[in-house]
Amino acid sequence: MSTTASFRTHEVPDDLLAAIDYCYDQGWTDGLPVVPPVVDRVKAMLAADNRPPDTVIAKHPATGLDLSLHAAAVNAVMAGCLPEYFPAVVAAFEAMDKPDFNFHGSTASTGGSAPLVIVSGPYAEQIGMNADVNLFGPGNRANGTIGRATRLILRNVFQMLPGISDKSTQGNPGKYSFCIAERARGNPWPLLCETQGYPKGTSSVTVYAGGGFCNVENHGGNTPEQILASVADAMANYGCITLGQAVVILAPEHMQIVAGAGWTRERAQAYLFSEAKRSVEGMKAVGKYRDREYDTQHGEGAHALAEKGFMHRGLTPDDILITMGGGDAGGHSCFIPSWSRGRGSIMQHSAIRASQK
Amino acid sequence: MQLYSPLSTTPKRKAVRAPALGSIDGLRIGILENGKLNAEEMLNEVAALFVQHHGCTVRTLASKKNASAPAPSNTLVQVAQEVDFLITGLGD
Repeated sequence: MSTTASFRTHEVPDDLLAAIDYCYDQGWTDGLPVVPPVVDRVKAMLAADNRPPDTVIAKHPATGLDLSLHAAAVNAVMAGCLPEYFPAVVAAFEAMDKPDFNFHGSTASTGGSAPLVIVSGPYAEQIGMNADVNLFGPGNRANGTIGRATRLILRNVFQMLPGISDKSTQGNPGKYSFCIAERARGNPWPLLCETQGYPKGTSSVTVYAGGGFCNVENHGGNTPEQILASVADAMANYGCITLGQAVVILAPEHMQIVAGAGWTRERAQAYLFSEAKRSVEGMKAVGKYRDREYDTQHGEGAHALAEKGFMHRGLTPDDILITMGGGDAGGHSCFIPSWSRGRGSIMQHSAIRASQK
Repeated sequence: MQLYSPLSTTPKRKAVRAPALGSIDGLRIGILENGKLNAEEMLNEVAALFVQHHGCTVRTLASKKNASAPAPSNTLVQVAQEVDFLITGLGD
């Protein structure tokens, strides 16, 4: 091993398969083969950001380990990213670095969440991301490798190692990759990047510590209430109801029913907040009721829709992110629960930097 | 073929253990609970053993709002001024 311009390098034989094996031997992979991070590819990746390679974009709050642009680029190469994907990887970590996201806790926990990365705005289409059929994969290089780069950085840079510093009880398939684009085509609601207050034309990345993936099937409902009641039921299941946030990706068929009836995002959020609830008695029956949580939801400053005697999911309707994604055919939406411990991680977003080109 | 290392280049921080206490008899105890179910109960039970067997006194109960985030530095600074040693741990 040697050091070149303060970045460590490893000399390996000029044999690609041997280099892949070398990466395995070093413990640098997520279990799948990686692209060996050869110097030229890393430099090409770094060229997608005009800041110095030693610029720190995130810091681990407990260990003090830094994520530099250089280390991010190395891992992005290993994940299979093209240079044009790099701004999304960088923006994801700039968002995850915000303290309320708490990437240490959400990665280390037995709860087993994975950072869901949602790319919103024109950038997604520019780099060929998939917001359509097979939204959550497989099949699209940008979606797959941006999400994978996120995982490899958590592993290699921040040393969140399965079984050692990542103590997830059962893991999560999203820990390989969990990245989607918001569907703009045919979306009747403002895009996330617009609601987040970014200037027109600026794309964004939203990160959310997602506890899994729950398919919500409804092919028979034809009113907003019927569709959203199915979603609310999934959101309130005993296995995952907490004070935590929620992400709901409505299939285009479902969105057509909801928005086609004139419902706005805000109305849908309010409906889901009202309906995604369990009675106090029910929560007690399964051993999940806590006074402290009930008081948080119903005490001073409680939202007007928080019904006495019930535990709702989240604290306000704004805790529910709803947008559209997936293929045109099929009444299959999804709900993604938050990391199991409620409000230990709050979703964050960051702009995809226009200067990174 | 030259590969870049994917690891952080941050220099390792030197972590040093606090010196061991010569005796814990009669010392002041702080409790830092993390908000998890049963954490406070478990730590109070542990503290009661120190009170019973070593004549310690419980001075402070500090809480973390977020179980999985490091304790805020101002919490630690304040507690350090009030106690001789601190008990913390998980509850679930």
